[in-house]
Amino acid sequence: MPEPLLSIRDLVVEFSTEDGIVQAVDGISYDLYPGETLGIVGESGSGKSVSTMSLLGLIPQPPGKVVRGEAFYKGKDILKVSKKELRHIRGNEIALIFQDPMTSLNPVLKIGAQIGEAIKTHHPDEKDDRIKERGIQLLRIVGVPNPDRRYEQYPHEFSGGMRQRAMIAMSIANSPSVLIADEPTTALDVTIQAQILQVLKKAQDETHAATILITHDLGLIAELADRVIVMYAGKIVELGDVHTIFESPRHPYTVGLMDSLPKLNVEEDWLRPIPGQPPSLISRPPGCPFHPRCFLSQGRVRCREEEPPLRPIAGTAHLTACHFAEELEGHTGPLVESVGAGV
Amino acid sequence: MLTYIIRRVLYSIPVLVATSFLIFTFVSISGDPLGRLRANPNISQQRFHAIEHSKNLDRPIVVRYGYWVHDAVTNQFGTTLFGQRKIWPDLQRVMGHTLQFVLTAIILSVLIGVAIGVYSALRQYSPFDYATTTISFVGFATPVFWLALMLQVVVVNIFLKWHVRVFYTSGLSSPFPGHGLHWLMDRVQHLALPVIALCILGVAGYSRYMRASMLEVLNSDYVRTARAKGLIERRVVMKHAFRNALIPLITLVALDFGAIFAGAVVTETIFTLDGMGFYFINALQASDPYPVMAWLMVVATMVIAFNLIADILYGVFDPRIRYD
Repeated sequence: MPEPLLSIRDLVVEFSTEDGIVQAVDGISYDLYPGETLGIVGESGSGKSVSTMSLLGLIPQPPGKVVRGEAFYKGKDILKVSKKELRHIRGNEIALIFQDPMTSLNPVLKIGAQIGEAIKTHHPDEKDDRIKERGIQLLRIVGVPNPDRRYEQYPHEFSGGMRQRAMIAMSIANSPSVLIADEPTTALDVTIQAQILQVLKKAQDETHAATILITHDLGLIAELADRVIVMYAGKIVELGDVHTIFESPRHPYTVGLMDSLPKLNVEEDWLRPIPGQPPSLISRPPGCPFHPRCFLSQGRVRCREEEPPLRPIAGTAHLTACHFAEELEGHTGPLVESVGAGV
Repeated sequence: MLTYIIRRVLYSIPVLVATSFLIFTFVSISGDPLGRLRANPNISQQRFHAIEHSKNLDRPIVVRYGYWVHDAVTNQFGTTLFGQRKIWPDLQRVMGHTLQFVLTAIILSVLIGVAIGVYSALRQYSPFDYATTTISFVGFATPVFWLALMLQVVVVNIFLKWHVRVFYTSGLSSPFPGHGLHWLMDRVQHLALPVIALCILGVAGYSRYMRASMLEVLNSDYVRTARAKGLIERRVVMKHAFRNALIPLITLVALDFGAIFAGAVVTETIFTLDGMGFYFINALQASDPYPVMAWLMVVATMVIAFNLIADILYGVFDPRIRYD
């Protein structure tokens, strides 16, 4: 396997709130390899956004704080570099695409100014007309019609889908090596989601950037990701390549996630949600964080008392954090057909 | 934009007409301008009615309104009821005086208030933030008359103890203020205390407002986007946050500018400044309706005008707002 581009080790991020300290990310480790798309799935509050935002110092501090951990990018621990070095990485080496294009663009600055600024910051000697040329070219790449005119417009003159395209254009402006897309399609309606997906793929082709795709949309993962991380309560509960995860999930939470998807080929009256609520991240239950909601645990003492480590299954690269993962042997995910069609 | 302004100006005309009628009616029915004459035993009934007739005060209110409007339009609000003193030159004079010190006060308070507010927001929960928050609350809670009196006491005590005249405690200028720089220095020494009194209240308000607005913007998604682009913090704050945070303040300040013309009644009275507020109080006490009406009309017009200016400025600073 090639050298990882980004290597995260034992990352712990806490938020201090009035009710106590929230461990939003609790000791996660993963690698991102050049050119791959790594999907991070999990429900709201599972720490999937925080785990990446904290790498670039983009969580509000205080109340947020990176308590422990290392994040090696090109041999440097970016959690410990100076502010100046971090600024050089932001938007230049590692770029972000945010969830809500309606609020992520500055309403009083022209789209062109916002894209141009991203280039100018990292290429201060570039001439203004060259920057404009590049900005218009970027808008053309992401499929904004009339890029010359659009470059001079304000965000409110763009539709939601167009704004997200502009956002993507901005993020690939400096050909970053890592692209982090934080729920890039969540705020858009379904028809636009499909288009943005195409734009994302195009942006990846354009920059050859390794991508971290944060989402709760399993369909998006199936469509774009090479490998998948499933997060629950600030921890990685399962990690593997997309086929393995979808075909033979080995963590009961992943199984539950997939079961909760509505099936198009079966007549169903009800959705099948995972029962219960995610645990409070202030007072974690001992043992496996998922055990109160787990169908596999069935009250076994080990689940309640011993926290399962993330371990490989039968020596493969497929990792799970479940004591009894082997009992899921033979369990196939419901999306097998659509994955086959999509990838 | 131009069409919008013209339309708004045209809309203001019926508003002003209605305002003038309300002002005339309410001021007319709120007191008897001839009360003192009526109570005077040396004036006969016949003589009283003759005076009342000569001033048209025996006519129905609508007819009197007509006379008043005619006077206001053709004769610059005419004269006072007694003494035949022209109203407009007086109003112009006091407006000039009020503008000198209230304008200074408001500009200073906006500058200081915005600076404090922005810095507090950037250093939220720092000692500076806590200190300005506390001082602001004290400033808010301080009645202006008390503050003005305390400032006078302090300055007078300094004079008594060290025989140094820092500021004057009343009036607009000395009897012989001199010319040029001497005149200016004299004016500054006279207006400093009222300006300080108004500034303390103004800064307390604007700094809190700016802090809240700035905090909201600093936590917004687009500021995070700006940081994610790798911009230096100064640019994030000045280019992305500050301009957005100013937008709500602009409306507030523009509306306050309209209210400037009303003067500061309490402050002007305490420092005996010949300004709008002082003029209004004196006219009320003389129970002369015409200066009161003229004053109210001027202030109402200014409030309407600055409402329009606030809206236009809003459109200039916020591209989302377009008038057409």
